Amino acid sequence: MEESPLHPFELHNYIPLSVGGIDISINKAVIIMWVVVALVAFLMLKAGSARQLVPGKLQSLGEMLVDFVRGIILDTMGKDGMRFFPLIATLFLFILFCNLIGLIPGSYTVTSQIVVTAVFACVVYGLSLVMGFLLHGAKFLGILVPPGTPGWLLPLMIPIELISQLARPISLAVRLFANMTAGHVILGVLFGLAISGGLLIGWLPFAFTIAMNGLEVGIAFIQAYIFTVLTCVYLGDAFHLHGHDDHAH
Amino acid sequence: MPPSQDPFYAGLGQAVRIGTDLLASLIVGGGLGWVLDTYLLDSTPWGMVVGLVLGVIAGIRNAYRSAMRWPGSPPDTESKG
Repeated sequence: MEESPLHPFELHNYIPLSVGGIDISINKAVIIMWVVVALVAFLMLKAGSARQLVPGKLQSLGEMLVDFVRGIILDTMGKDGMRFFPLIATLFLFILFCNLIGLIPGSYTVTSQIVVTAVFACVVYGLSLVMGFLLHGAKFLGILVPPGTPGWLLPLMIPIELISQLARPISLAVRLFANMTAGHVILGVLFGLAISGGLLIGWLPFAFTIAMNGLEVGIAFIQAYIFTVLTCVYLGDAFHLHGHDDHAH
Repeated sequence: MPPSQDPFYAGLGQAVRIGTDLLASLIVGGGLGWVLDTYLLDSTPWGMVVGLVLGVIAGIRNAYRSAMRWPGSPPDTESKG
């Protein structure tokens, strides 16, 4: 009965595989990711194939999701950000469905593995660096110098800006990972209390479990939203060098 | 109304953001200082001390900056400047 609250995050290989010394074993997280990819692809293809003027349920859902991402991009990056729409929409849908599918009991939350979120964060941040250097060349290093800095402050400001730049991928990865892990640990602990409490007092933590589950649905959505917004903000910073104030409308 | 402009979600998003931003700058500052100490300069406590202080400054500065750009705040303040 005594079980660590972190036990649900352990992964066991179903099919051990290894190619050239690299471990590519199939485990639960991999299978859940496949399920999510299939689910998102099926949902969006099905929603997109209807093309009715008065949308049905599925088409409305698809249009709502796509419109949501489009709104985020237009708000943070402006019109020229729309060329990143496929990447950002894919990230948003994948993270959202990973978070949501993890709430089904017996399933697995892929985003509670820091490897997964760190890869997302590195892809996003790496892309913003590549874009910045392609568009602005060496001038992109000027992102380390905030506009209007007096010369004598430069030795202090450059390390500070360097740290806050490097903190971006870390905060992106840690935020998603920590929120999903913490939420599921709380759910696990509360449910454990409900089981060990028995009928007399166990209903109280059980009620909290249900309330927390509702809250977790909200958190799943908000974390996917935050990840998407910050992706747009970082890519936008690479576009408009020192454009912090241009798109604050 | 597109949900991305819903002040509830926008505000919640900002609130969730600032906490981790503070933490991440601290990790990066301390980590960079530690790497400098152990592998490059051999100046054991000082790199990490300076790095942590810079990390705190960077974190607070970021939090201040995003608070200044708070969505739904009155548009007359610095966010326009």
